[in-house]
Amino acid sequence: MSNINRRNFLGAGLLLGASTLLGKETPKKIITSSSEYVPPMVAFPEKKPMKTISDRPPLLESPRDIFTQAITPNDQFFVRWHMPDIPTYIDLNEFRLEVKGSVEKPLSLSVDDLKSKFEPVEITSVLQCGGNSRRYFAGTGPATHGVQWGHGAMGCAVWKGVRLKDLLNHAGVKGSAKWVGVNGLEKPAMEATAKFFREMNIDEALSGELIVAYEMNGEDLPYLNGFPLRLVIPGHFSDSWVKMLSEITVFDEYQKSFFMDVAYTVPDNDCECVISGSDFEYKRKPIAVMKVKSVIGYPTPNTIIKKGSRVKVTGVAFDQGKGIKEVMISIDGGKSWSTTELQKDYGKYAYRQWTYQWEPKAKGEYTIMVRAINRIGNIQPQVNEIGWNAGGYQYNAVDSVNVKIV
Amino acid sequence: MKKLFLITLALSVSLFAQVSKPIEMPYVDYPMVKGDHDEVAQQYCLICHSWGYVLNQGKKSRPYWTGTVAKMVNEFKAPIAKEDQQTIINYLVKHYGYEVQSGH
Repeated sequence: MSNINRRNFLGAGLLLGASTLLGKETPKKIITSSSEYVPPMVAFPEKKPMKTISDRPPLLESPRDIFTQAITPNDQFFVRWHMPDIPTYIDLNEFRLEVKGSVEKPLSLSVDDLKSKFEPVEITSVLQCGGNSRRYFAGTGPATHGVQWGHGAMGCAVWKGVRLKDLLNHAGVKGSAKWVGVNGLEKPAMEATAKFFREMNIDEALSGELIVAYEMNGEDLPYLNGFPLRLVIPGHFSDSWVKMLSEITVFDEYQKSFFMDVAYTVPDNDCECVISGSDFEYKRKPIAVMKVKSVIGYPTPNTIIKKGSRVKVTGVAFDQGKGIKEVMISIDGGKSWSTTELQKDYGKYAYRQWTYQWEPKAKGEYTIMVRAINRIGNIQPQVNEIGWNAGGYQYNAVDSVNVKIV
Repeated sequence: MKKLFLITLALSVSLFAQVSKPIEMPYVDYPMVKGDHDEVAQQYCLICHSWGYVLNQGKKSRPYWTGTVAKMVNEFKAPIAKEDQQTIINYLVKHYGYEVQSGH
């Protein structure tokens, strides 16, 4: 592809976004490499224009500057579905959440039932896709499987709903019960394809921390974030935070399924990693709790800043729920480190925003890096230290952003 | 007191904006390279997912695309005949991949 063509294409990418919004026919261009491919910015229902990795199923990525806020606004919260057939309308008069299987008394609950018959609880928690930041694995090793997300497949919201434990206790879990399966209303295109289904141990389901949420940041859940109900599993990657949650089934035996046994798995060893570039020929286990991580929200990459400006460098940090102890920052590419100021504590499962006042005194290129450590001493690995896995899950190496001082 | 609480809850429910009519999902026409039987890839791959899934993975090796097509057939039950699977793999490798692992 020549330079001129490439430039045309990048222009067309912008056009594509705009014309899609206007409903006009989109230009067709030939694209052969993700390094050149810029997904269009498209506004989906209840969303601002977002980087649209796929429209069907919808995969929408939040922009990096979203990490200047501790709470992610609903209209910029990332979206990731697995199946192409998502109902475009849910009538709350008809909608029911079924609790069934190995229980004394199966339940069929409307959203109003949940709101009126069970104690409401609220938790602020990070929701992060297991494949978030996957593209950065390619910085030091081979690109992994899967859609190459940047950092924008995560967000933090205030979730309100009822405890899963309360629902299960209301139904009366039988003594023989060992597993709880969850699925929602999204459907595959073909009958033969297995539906999206996740499973958890009965003890985890009854832990009291999991909630069936009907509100996100004080509003109904946006349609694309799982209206009307979504499972919330604080501290855990989002693969089991089932959207449009419609069935909770208690099982005596583990149910084998593609989405538990094959997808969202990492090597079953201590480092959860394999030699860079090897394929899936290893024993696997499902991804579960998140790893300590921090990302920079401002400045964004390639920002040009005037010498002597007072720059408020800021971003967010989080972990699996142990709590962030410190976020360190380097503005010289990792040679020296300072501490940042941690902002308001929204709870152990929430983003902890951090800030750092920086007054660049000399012109030139700078690399800003941040590194978080939690209260049990888990620290983010350096980029060249992170263990590789073929699925590209759990990326949490030190984040960096290059800026130019002029 | 509890009753009052429940009434308040019920009242507050109606204040939230619910989806009152079907949402309209935008359609994105992700471009596909023409030729080399792109129509076969279109016919099968797009049953379940947009071409964005391919574009956003970057260039991949022949073993990668072979494994991915096998996953679609074996795990997701894509009804693709053997020779069509090969056609799709060849198309993906030629336009969205590379032949040898080190040639990236």
